[in-house]
Parts: sequence; C-alpha cells; structure tokens
Amino acid sequence: MSEITRNLTQRISKFQDGKGTPSVDKKTQLILLAILIAVMAAYPFLPFVNNYWIDVGFFVGIYVLLGLSLNIILGEVGLFNLGQAAFYAIGAYTTGILYTQLQIPIIVLLPLSALIAGGFAFLVTSPIIHLRGDYLCIVTIGIGEIVRITALNNPFGLTKGANGITGIGNPDFGIFSITTPTQFYYYVWIIIGLVIIGLINLQKSRVGRAWNYIREDEIAAEANGIDVRHYKLLAFVIGTALAGAAGNIYGSKMMIISPANFTFMESCLIFVIVLLGGLGSIPGTLLGAAIIVIFPEIFRQFANYRLLFFGAALVIMMIFRPGGILPRRRERAGFRGLGISKLPEDENTLLKEVLDSGLSTARQPEAAQEPTLKTKAHVHPPPNGLVLETQRVTVQFGGLTAVSQFDLTIRENQITSLIGPNGAGKTTLFNVITGIYRPLSGKVIFMGEEITGLKPHQITTKGIARTFQNIRLFPSLTSIENVMSGPHCHATNGTIPSIMRSPGQQKEERHILETASFRLHQVGLWEYRNELARNLPYGKQKLLEIARALASSPKLIVLDEPSSGLNDKETEELMEFLTKLIAEGLTILLIEHDMNVVMGISDRVSVMDMGSRIAEDLPQNIYNNPRVIEAYLGKEE
Amino acid sequence: MQMLPEQLINGLIIGSFYALVAMGYSMVYGVMKLINFAHGDLFTLGSYLGYTILVFGAGWVTATFGIWGGVIVAVLGAMLGIGFAGLILERVAYQPVYRAGRLPLVVSALGASIFISNGIMAVWGPRFQAFPEVSIPTGSIVLFGDFRITTLKLVTILVSLGLMGLIYYLVERTLFGAAVRASALDRDTATLIGIDFRKIIRFVFFVGPSLGALAGVFVGLNYTRIIFTMGWTYGLKAFTAVILGGIGNIPGAMLGGIMLGIMEALFEGFVSGAWKNVFVFLILIVILIVRPTGLIGEKIAEKV
Repeated sequence: MSEITRNLTQRISKFQDGKGTPSVDKKTQLILLAILIAVMAAYPFLPFVNNYWIDVGFFVGIYVLLGLSLNIILGEVGLFNLGQAAFYAIGAYTTGILYTQLQIPIIVLLPLSALIAGGFAFLVTSPIIHLRGDYLCIVTIGIGEIVRITALNNPFGLTKGANGITGIGNPDFGIFSITTPTQFYYYVWIIIGLVIIGLINLQKSRVGRAWNYIREDEIAAEANGIDVRHYKLLAFVIGTALAGAAGNIYGSKMMIISPANFTFMESCLIFVIVLLGGLGSIPGTLLGAAIIVIFPEIFRQFANYRLLFFGAALVIMMIFRPGGILPRRRERAGFRGLGISKLPEDENTLLKEVLDSGLSTARQPEAAQEPTLKTKAHVHPPPNGLVLETQRVTVQFGGLTAVSQFDLTIRENQITSLIGPNGAGKTTLFNVITGIYRPLSGKVIFMGEEITGLKPHQITTKGIARTFQNIRLFPSLTSIENVMSGPHCHATNGTIPSIMRSPGQQKEERHILETASFRLHQVGLWEYRNELARNLPYGKQKLLEIARALASSPKLIVLDEPSSGLNDKETEELMEFLTKLIAEGLTILLIEHDMNVVMGISDRVSVMDMGSRIAEDLPQNIYNNPRVIEAYLGKEE
Repeated sequence: MQMLPEQLINGLIIGSFYALVAMGYSMVYGVMKLINFAHGDLFTLGSYLGYTILVFGAGWVTATFGIWGGVIVAVLGAMLGIGFAGLILERVAYQPVYRAGRLPLVVSALGASIFISNGIMAVWGPRFQAFPEVSIPTGSIVLFGDFRITTLKLVTILVSLGLMGLIYYLVERTLFGAAVRASALDRDTATLIGIDFRKIIRFVFFVGPSLGALAGVFVGLNYTRIIFTMGWTYGLKAFTAVILGGIGNIPGAMLGGIMLGIMEALFEGFVSGAWKNVFVFLILIVILIVRPTGLIGEKIAEKV
C-alpha cells in the first residue's frame, strides 16, 4: 500500500470513528435526542398521565412499529404497499392461534410471528415483486382483503370468525411477566429503540443504499450491479416481519384479536403515517404515528366526523407539504451516514492533494488496486486479447429487426467506437451487451466467458460498467452516494452484519467510501460530493455517471454518447480523461456522434447501419470506406 | 336447471356495475396514471344522490313522473351531480398536487376517498338506507321457455351495455376519443400537437364519475339497500376488472368487468358465497403473474 493511500484511509477512518470535529448540527441533534428519550422514559410517571394515557403511549408505539415496518418497503424502496395490515394480522393470528391451541409462550411467539409474517410475504410477493408500482399497490390491497376474509370465515375453526380469538396471554419472561400498562409501555418502546438502532445501521449500509438506488431508478440500480429483485424482496420480508412482530405485541396486550382490527382502513393509516412523517424518515415516522393515534383521542367528542377531518387533512397536507412533516435530509447524508459529518477547509485541501497524487499512482497496478475492492475481472488477462466479443447477435422488436447478426470485437486496453446513423441499433446493442435486452440469437462473450442472458447486475459484477444515453443518476441522492453504488456489487456483507455493524462490514464500508471518493475526485467532482445529483449541471451529471460506472472497478466501460450536450472545452477534457483511463488499464466501448471524438481517440471503429455491421477498421480507414459514406450521406446517383 | 341462467344474469348485472365503475378508473388512470381511490366513493355518492331524489318529498318524483320516469330523473340527476363532483374533486384534491409527484397524489386520492365516504356517513348516517319500494320498478317478462327476468334486471343490463357502447364509440371511433387516447399514451406529445390536456382531464373526470353514478343508482334499485362503505368493495373489484382487461384500456375495462361479474356469480352460486371475494382477488393475483398486461392489453417497454 502506498504512503498516500494509507494516509487517505487513516483520515477517512478517523472520521468514521467519530473522532473528527462534529458539526454543531450534530450536537443539537444529540441533545434533542437525549431530551426525547428522557421524556419518553419519564412519561408514565408524569403527574397528569393516568393509565389511559399510558395506554395511548403504548398504542403510539404499536403504530410506530407499523410505520417503521412500512417505511422500509415504501420509504426506502418506494414499493407501494397498501396491505400492510395483512402482515400485522398474520403476526397477531399466529400468536393467537399458537398460544390458545398449543400454549406456546408469547415471548417465543414474538420472533415466530415475525418469521411467519415475513415468510408469507416472501411467498406471495416473489411472483409479483417485479410489477410496476400501481399493480403492486392493488395486489397488496387484494392480499389484505384475502387475509381479512380468511380470518372472518374461520377456516378449520382456527380464527373464530368475526368474534376473533380471545384469551391471549401476556408476555412472560419467567422472572416477571408484563401485565400493567406501564410495563407494556416500556416493553413496546424498548423494542422500538432496538428496531430503530438496527434500522439506522441498515440505512447507513450498502443494503440501505441499495434500497434507495432502487427507489430512485430501478434500471440504473440494476445496471450498477444491484440485484433489484433480491433487495426488493429483502425489504418486503424485513418490513412485513416487523409488522408481524407488532401483531404479536398488540395481541398480547389486548388479549383479543378480531378481523375488525385489520381492515383496509388500518393499512391506509399505516401508509399515511409514513407519508405524514416523510418518506424514509425515522423521526417522521415517530411523529406520524403520534399524530394518527393522539389526534382521534383529542377529538373524541367528534367521533363521527373524525375521519372526515382526517381525509380533508390528508388532501390539504399533500397540497402544502407533499414531502411530509419531517422529510429525511439528504444533503451530506453520504458522509454523515458514515460518521463523517464535515470536512474542514484545510482538511479538504489535504484530502484533495492525497487524492491528486492517488490519481498519479493509480497507473501502477498495485496502487490502483488498493482503494478499490478486488474484482475477479482484474485478475486474469483475457484470452486472445479480446475483452468482449459479440457473435451474430440479433434483436427483434415485434417484426422489426433492430440488430442483425452483429459481430463486434473489443481488444484489451483499447478504445473501440461504435458509430452509425440514428436508429442504426447502437443503443440496442449496448443494451444486449449490458444485459437489459436478451438477444433473439447470438452470443456475447466477455473475457472468454459467455454472458448472454445474464441479468444486468450480474454482468456489472463480472466487470462491464455503463452509462446511459439519457443520464440516469439517482437524482435525490448525493453525488458521493451515487458513486458508492459502484463498489456495491463486489461487497459481500448483508443484512445481519449491517445491523450489527460487524468489524468486517465497517471495513468494507470504508473500502466503498474510499473507492467512491477516489473516483469522484478523479472526474473532478469532489467538491460536489454532498450535492444532490439532480442539482448538478448537465455536464457534471455526465461526469458523475462516468464516476459511478468507474467505481464498480470494471474491466470494460461502455459509454453511450458521453460527449452529447457538452461544449468544446468539456469535450476536450472528456477525451483527455478517457485516454487517462486507458493508461489505467481499462478498455472502453463508445457510442459517439462527434466525429472529432471518434477519430481523435479511437483505436478501432465499428460502423453500424440498419442493425448490421458495415465496417470495422482503423479510424483513418473509416473516412474513405464507400459503404460508410453511403450510410451517412446516401448513394451517389 | 334454473340456477345456471339465473347466476349468469346476476353475473351479467353485477359485471355491468363493475364495468361501468371500471371505465371511470381506466379513463383517469390512462390520462393521469393515478388510481383514483375516490372513484369508488363517488359511485356511492351517486347512489345516495339517486336515493335522495327518489325519497325527496315522500316520493314526489315517482308520484309525478311515474315509476320509470322517476328512475330516469334519479339516474340523470345522479349522473349530472356526480359528474360535477368529479370535476370538483380533480380541481381541489388533484390539480394542486400534480407537480409533487405520484406518491402525494396517491395519498391525496386516499384522503379524498376517506373524506367522501365519511362525508356520506355524516349526511345520511352510518346505517343501511333502503331505496323506497314505491320507486323500484316491478314486473317481469318471459325471456325464453319458462325463464322469466324482471324488467328492472333487463333494463339494467341494456342501459349499461348501451352506455358502454356509447363510450366505446366516443373513445375509439371519434376524433375527440383519439385525443383522449393520445393524451393517455404521451401527455407531452399530445400537448405539442395542440391537444388541450386540461380539457381531456375535465372530460375523464366528468364522464368517469357519472358512469359510476349510473351504476350506483342501479345498484340501489336492484339490491335496494345501500351503505356508505360500499364504494370500497365495488371500487376494488372494479379496479381488479381494469387489470383483468388491461390497464388504461377502455374496452378492456368493459370486458374485464363483465367477466369478473360472471365468474364471481358462478363461484357464489356453485362454490361458496363467503369465499367469493377471496376468489376474486386470487384471480387478480393470478392474472398479474400470468399475464400482467391484462386480457387485451399491450406490453409497454420502457425506453433505456
């Protein structure tokens, strides 16, 4: 490891351990948090709080759990779920049935209820998880109704129909059991505390970020090596398991559960808690749940008009504050998420120097390896010098042949350009190479291995990264968070280590941050690291997309019209930058319309027209190729 | 063997209601990509409006115009009233939220739904209301052999099918309908070629809910009892019908509604009444797994 990268690593880890100067903002936050915890802990003993209001505090807790459970699915991943009450019901009924039929202790049933709710969610959602938002929304409503009606119909005499299950016991820890309102209050809030710690750790991990990438742009997430299906299901299972646990706690407190507790209105309330507080915001969920429970208590005498006001309030709220009351703050989230709250000015310049020299040493392979995660792609040189080969690839849309029997060869450490008139099928071929489309026939071979038909995230993991013709960033995430999606696919720590913040996971997170910082600096966007991607100007967004692709440590990078929309100076810088990447050992495939770029930096040029290859040659020979001239200018009469 | 034709007729009737409500969902979804959760409640409001017209002045409308005259007044009144209610809904609850994105729009729709259904409860009370017996047409005619059908059922089916035909013609065969379909496909391009998008929105928010209101009044006439929460069940099943037929596709919504109604009636008649809604939602899930584009929907590929 070079002196310089070690220096960088130390600096970053210093911040991560929280030894860096915390901002005032963070201090205030901690004080507020301490006050909140103190008030919550003292609440049952406050003078005006009787058992009734302690119970209200308990029910706020139940709805906080439910809100947090849906927040994972809706807030973090953006999956519409209007049937969360179904999983809450499954937890409650699991507890009710197993306790009354088999006398299994409530405390054993707590994890079991979560497991069964999550397992049920896995079974019912895995065939439909790929559906677009509204379809999923309707299906979850349908699942909610199926579960409620099933409970109502009392199958095998298990659910006891409309009257519900009575005689559910209290949680019993052996030494003491939880019976009084005060005990239940502490019971639920201690569980919430643990859940929140776990969730915050998840939010700060690659798992939490993967969820956010999917919410922002599913296709871009998949193309950056995120297994979209896996992470969607994971969110669904974790979220519904939490709802199942809430069902257990609710049942053990009420001692009776009936289908009337788990209606569509209940799902709506949970949905609204998340939206009211702000998507993905934990404090927002606390506030949302408090409002939903306490508001009706205050307006008890207007019971008949309660929901009327509630409905109107929702509409008004969406008009004036659609992001919720306490929306999750994103600025600086990337660094704060890793405990790096602020880089002072001098620190900033230092780090810049470190990174600057990091760039120059990056050309030596062993130094370039250091800050990045190891990838298989780098280990073996490709057989016969070919990085990528397409063999007779054909793609059809309906009756239209977009790509026809296309052969393309890309040599190691070269820039190959794919050119052709508009509509020639260039982007379609890119989408075949990167796995977004499956070809009708033909093969794609990468580093001597067939990759045809693999999913985009698998292909990215193997070492092909891409950019999009129309920029596809994660708009509401910061620049650094965008780039941190790159190393995701080579990292291995999953949910449990992320929740526990295991040493291995922390080390890996540091690697991810280092790789991302390095690439962000390399494209000259270091100073924009905490800016939301959507706030960057167009040219910088293009660079950010390239940084994100580079951060996955690819062998081959596939750029779709990187110079479009850039001015002359920016284009020149881009060309220089691409040449540097070649020096770093990368291989590049370009789609480009700007002939200056193509002729200036390409080693080989492949020309496509009407889906077929009409030429593949050195750049200087392409100019004089009669078929190319014909394709671009038409035939001379 | 009276059971089969009877259940088929029942299925056709309930299917017509689903189809009428489904068309409103589908139109709004097509143009705005929004599940208008308040649509089912507008249907309920239409039913209550028809009910109010019929009980008004102790049955003054029926007494003055006769039973069928009363029905016509109630239906037209409800359709007109709910058409305007739809316009107000869009103006108040949706238009100010468009720019905020899809999720706030969904929440606003949920809020509007809760507001309307509880507003109905506040005005007409939480209990079932019965359509006045004197205002419900009686009599029956022989359809074939010794199989009789009540005139009301026959009229329900004919009116529903007639209106569906009219809307089909309007949307699929006229220039205005082409503008509606163009707006559904691509709002920006439609605006660029000179289509007044606001006008299209007003059209779908007037016609959709008034079709729902028509269904609402006929639900009251056929089943006599109505309740403020009924829009939720009808709405959900109507949306299932939309998906069955292919989302955003109006002929699909009609077909999906009628098929769903018939399947439901047959299941209810021959298998189990208590489990019929589970059956309906299972159909929904199976359709989405097997053929997510619906029966006559087309696959829409996202451009990358």
